[in-house]
Amino acid sequence: MSALYDRIQELAAEYPESRSAVMPALRLAQEEHGGWLPPEAFREVGEALELTPAYCKAVASFYDMFQLEPVGRHMVEVCTNVSCALVGAQQVLEAFERELGVHAGETTEDGEVTLRTVECAGGCGWGTVVAVDHRYREPVRPEDVPAIVRGLHDGA
Amino acid sequence: MALRELLLKDADTRDLTQLAEYEAVGGYRSLRKALGMERQAVLEELLAADVRGRGGAGFPMGRKASFLPKPEDSAKPIYLVVNADESEPGTFKDREIMLRVPHLFIEGVFIAAHTIGSSQAFIYLRGEYLTEYEVIVAALEEAREAGYVGKDVLGSGWDLTVVVHRGAGAYICGEETGLLESLEGNRGQPRTKPPFPAVSGLYASPTLINNVETLATVPKIVEMGGAAYAALGVENSAGTRVFSLSGNVANGGNYELELGTSLRELIYDLGGGIPGGRELKAVIPGGSSVPVLTAAEVDTPLDFDSMAQAGTMLGSGAVIVIDDRCCMVQLGLRVAQFYMHESCGKCTPCREGTRWMVQLLRKIEDGEATQGELDVLLNVCDRILGHCLCPLGDAAAMPVASYVAKFRDEYQRHIDEGGCPFGGESSLQGVLAPVDQHHAHVRAEIEVPVGP
Amino acid sequence: MSAQREAELVTVTIDGQEIQAPKGRGMVETAAALGIEIPVFCYEPRLGPPVGACRMCLCEVEGLPKLQAACTLTATDGLVLRTAATSEKASDGQNAILEFILLNHPLDCPDCDKGGECPLQDLTFRFGPGSTRMHFPKRTFDKPIPISPLIALDRERCILCYRCTRFSENVSEDGQLVAVNRGASSMIATFEDEPYRAHFSGNVVELCPVGALTSTTYRFRARPWEIQNVPTVCGLCPVGCNVWATTREGKVARVLSRNHPEIHEGWLCDKGRFAYDHLRAPDRIRAPLVRVRRRGFEEVSHEEALAAAETGLREAGSDVVVAFSGGETGEQARALARLVREGLGSDAALLPDDWEPGLAAFRAPLSAIREADVCLVLGDDPVLERAPVVDLWLRAARREGAAVVAANAAGDIQVAPGSAPQVCAALRSGADVPPELKETAERVRGAARVALIWSEDDPTGGRHVGALASDLAETAGAQVAVYALPRTPNGRGVAEAWRALGEGRSDPPAEGEIGALIVSGDEAAADPRVAELAGRARFVLTTAMFQNDVTAWSHVVLPGTSYLEREGTFVNLEGRPQRLRRAVVPAGPDELEWVARLAERFGVAVDPWAAPSAAEQAELPPGDEFAWTQPDPQAATGRAAGPGLELVRVRALFSGAAVERVPQLQFQRPPGEVELAWEDAATREIAQGETVRVTSNGTTKELRARLNRRLRAGVVRVAAEHAVGLDDRVQVEKAG
Ligand SMILES: Cc1cc2nc3c(=O)[nH]c(=O)nc-3n(C[C@H](O)[C@H](O)[C@H](O)COP(=O)(O)O)c2cc1C
Ligand code: SF4
Ligand code: FES
Repeated sequence: MSALYDRIQELAAEYPESRSAVMPALRLAQEEHGGWLPPEAFREVGEALELTPAYCKAVASFYDMFQLEPVGRHMVEVCTNVSCALVGAQQVLEAFERELGVHAGETTEDGEVTLRTVECAGGCGWGTVVAVDHRYREPVRPEDVPAIVRGLHDGA
Repeated sequence: MALRELLLKDADTRDLTQLAEYEAVGGYRSLRKALGMERQAVLEELLAADVRGRGGAGFPMGRKASFLPKPEDSAKPIYLVVNADESEPGTFKDREIMLRVPHLFIEGVFIAAHTIGSSQAFIYLRGEYLTEYEVIVAALEEAREAGYVGKDVLGSGWDLTVVVHRGAGAYICGEETGLLESLEGNRGQPRTKPPFPAVSGLYASPTLINNVETLATVPKIVEMGGAAYAALGVENSAGTRVFSLSGNVANGGNYELELGTSLRELIYDLGGGIPGGRELKAVIPGGSSVPVLTAAEVDTPLDFDSMAQAGTMLGSGAVIVIDDRCCMVQLGLRVAQFYMHESCGKCTPCREGTRWMVQLLRKIEDGEATQGELDVLLNVCDRILGHCLCPLGDAAAMPVASYVAKFRDEYQRHIDEGGCPFGGESSLQGVLAPVDQHHAHVRAEIEVPVGP
Repeated sequence: MSAQREAELVTVTIDGQEIQAPKGRGMVETAAALGIEIPVFCYEPRLGPPVGACRMCLCEVEGLPKLQAACTLTATDGLVLRTAATSEKASDGQNAILEFILLNHPLDCPDCDKGGECPLQDLTFRFGPGSTRMHFPKRTFDKPIPISPLIALDRERCILCYRCTRFSENVSEDGQLVAVNRGASSMIATFEDEPYRAHFSGNVVELCPVGALTSTTYRFRARPWEIQNVPTVCGLCPVGCNVWATTREGKVARVLSRNHPEIHEGWLCDKGRFAYDHLRAPDRIRAPLVRVRRRGFEEVSHEEALAAAETGLREAGSDVVVAFSGGETGEQARALARLVREGLGSDAALLPDDWEPGLAAFRAPLSAIREADVCLVLGDDPVLERAPVVDLWLRAARREGAAVVAANAAGDIQVAPGSAPQVCAALRSGADVPPELKETAERVRGAARVALIWSEDDPTGGRHVGALASDLAETAGAQVAVYALPRTPNGRGVAEAWRALGEGRSDPPAEGEIGALIVSGDEAAADPRVAELAGRARFVLTTAMFQNDVTAWSHVVLPGTSYLEREGTFVNLEGRPQRLRRAVVPAGPDELEWVARLAERFGVAVDPWAAPSAAEQAELPPGDEFAWTQPDPQAATGRAAGPGLELVRVRALFSGAAVERVPQLQFQRPPGEVELAWEDAATREIAQGETVRVTSNGTTKELRARLNRRLRAGVVRVAAEHAVGLDDRVQVEKAG
């Protein structure tokens, strides 16, 4: 019926068992719903894969990349695991907090940007790693932050 | 010994993400060769190469493949699953391989799938790796057009489909059975073993799981022959590895070295040493899950046996360099926070123990812990160790216990002086870990006591 | 049907003692056979393969460096296991685990319902640390929350053993109770705080090893040392699950399962578990009633009531019709049958279920479903609503690899309503198989073990499915089991009781006045056919538990009792006679006694006392030999053709007199929905959840649309209680 339903069927066809498509399906649904998964999204995915919404939420809540609450249009993720932290990730994070006016874990009032810390992003040799809308910037130093934030607003 | 580029060979001078370039340096010749050989003969080469898994556990690849039933004896399909979930803190080498030599990697996947008689392979790719996903998908598409994968590969009559399955942010999905659960569409909680994946893995079918780097060595082994490959490196540690160097070092990055090269060479000769005139304090040699080495142990060779002798592990080949500005209690806290965040929640000791470790370490760092609580911390590590369903609990307990053991006086000073002796100057001072930030998933507040 | 697998014996050593055990048996059970207890929390073999989550069962295994979760180990030859009793390492491990489990578990045992019957309390008492080393605030959650009107969840007490969620995922497969989040913030939850609404939800209360999941109907009602448990059988559906009725001060305080492995493996549906409070309904009839004026009733003495009943029946002579409920005990049914047939000289009866005795040839325990290669489900009534536990067995069979094929309007093969007899005929040897049944025919005819489930009201008593069964047995050499699901809990026993007095039954006259009508029980009273007969009867004698519209047209009403208040025998759908025991004593005589006293007045001597013979765990009588006469002559009951959509009424499990009287069960009753096929919804532009109008000659119902991709086009399904007044063909359109 809906386009999402059909696209999920395509995903499911790639796997021997359709349940395997739950993660890609949730990713699609998250994209459709503005970066997060409202209750409706779990119903849609559940219906397409013959799973309960509860099951879909149980899966989604296990993973860090599925958002269960609304997020900003942009996502800034700062790695604060050991390697990045050793070379100043906290200072980078604080620079973002100052520049955006929110704490880590929060979204700017205009709903534009969500800032959060993440565990090791896998770019440790080039710390501090910051993912802006899921594209890595490495390395980022505190002095690079204002330009990144400006880019977010401009590129909007 | 120094740089010994085998997997990353030619990647500096050519764009090996392009099929034509890769073919120009001999790419996909190994696949043709393997298709012309008996499956068993290819397996023999892998056994002879004595290549050990590059994902962390170091299990010999050929032996693992030989545990699988022969396709003709198996009632169920046989699957190859690639562990591309790279999430061990400090590790970023699979990413380098996928970005720079994607065809080498997928050629390895094709050969391995053929060797075990599999017609379907899954690449479980870390969810955050978006560019890598695009590169791999493009490479697969090129390979499909060239007939290296798909129906009737190179006219051999053998079909292979490869599905790239993206993760969604959970370290535990790098653990092989957690990965399988996740790939089946469940929460990524590990399974008890036995049964091992070779007997009952994906969809309860025989499954071979290997790391990206492990599979990327396969075309090289087929090309050079197992014996020639085994001649690289040292005893029990054949071949090269791509080491990820990070932390307080001048030139962080990936370095492919023959196994047996010393930590010192990597850190000083290749990595340019410790910047800013600081002193080396400690090295984590194999990702944050392994026990720490002190500066005095920096001559330890990077191979499986030498690391074991030094009481630690080669792990994922992630070398994290720590200079003298780092408070080891803060390091313990930050590492414990990671494991608490990533504990899957299935088994009791890991779920409860990692949280308790964080509480105790926070208290020690804040200078509020009693002497007894330092002992409790060690005892909690001890009570986690060897009691969990999967190795994640051990991976939290072992390193933290090693920090206390090797830097005991620093821990003691926190208690004696009622606070952090670094007085706010430690490089890890105040680092905000994801467990501590308001987290959309964590509806029920986790109460981790904060400072005074 | 049960395939006797020769189990190879192996020798294992536990704490120095050698034992021979069947290879593959769980080590927890193997140790138990030696009298050695391995403590467990998450382990529960009925929930599927062990998960090794809680780690409470850590033991040392010779040759392995690490402690192993004993619950994940099975007996293999030469295995040497040391438990905490003899291994210091294992004992250290167990202490560690117990400390971790208690770390965030509140010590509120004095006001926890589980107190006194809590495995965690027991293990802590025996092995636990004397004091805590944990000086941090424990993890806190919101106070106990209802996850449904029936179940409360206290997350602080949860030890995350995942028994409840595994039940929901792997046994009932309802997928509603899940674990969310990860690590230390994992918790048990339903979706968006919606109620856990599923037929078997109450089992999680019994599975929970701590007081995290408790039932709202039992909470704070009793302490374990003040109660008595009476072993009896659930009398609410034809499965006949074995239960304990927990009583306190002469009242039923809860119902727990009593595991009969062949019948229900210890699972109970929520009706069986929670409906007991109907015993205390305010509208319960406690004294005999006799109609005095046109509309009024008067409470009378037993003697007066009997006299009034006698008079009414004598005036009718032999012009008497009896309507059974199917909830009578065998003894009670037999007494009533004797009164009517021998005392009054009538054989006109409405039996809720008919029963073809020849089906005994294909008798097998319900547990044999799990061992079948193919399970074929026939008939329009959803198995889950008619005999809920059978649905669990079918799910278990599918998990074991069986092909489970349902042929009905919303099944795997979407056949027309009412066509189950044709499906049976088409699967017989030499029949012309229609294309949609080809694959099923091949499967069924090629299988070694076949289970046939027949799930609809059937005037032939299961002859269609019986004919198919005997054909399969003879021409395909299959082992066949037939489960014909009666409509009522003891409908089969009632039919057998009637027949025990000799063949012969006539239908009530189709029209004209009737001398007297005897209505036996509330279910019979609720049957529209009975209401119609009552309108034509000069005298109506009813036994009923509850006052309601239907008792209003009776002349004499005798107070009825519940299955929890009676002694007697129930025959379940397998054909297994089981003993009902009186858990609580009713206020007055029970039905058997009433009927016996009445029968006496007509010269029939009925022993007023039930003579139950069945054991605590009844065995299934062996199957009889029987030669089927082929072919089945009965032509299929055709359904009305015509314009509009074909209505299938679903009799919901959560309906009926008992359910209606338990406030906590109301949310389980079927919502006002109409199930629509995707195509039919599309052509009418009806979306999921929209209100639609369902109409047939003059009656209109406003119902919410539930679109079902699996429903056969041209068919709609509505719960019977929302379809009152609708014909077999209906018009469906968008409301508004
Ligand atoms: C907690 C945990 C995390 C792991 N993460 C990874 C990972 O990210 N990538 C990986 O290849 N192996 C990881 N492993 C190791 C895998 O379980 C497995 O041993 C490996 O994929 C096997 O491949 P290999 O033999 O080629 O090394 C992890 C293991 C554990 C216990
Ligand atoms: S609620 Fe009870 S059964 Fe469910 S996980 Fe918690 S302790 Fe186990
Ligand atoms: S009972 Fe064995 S791990 Fe829970």
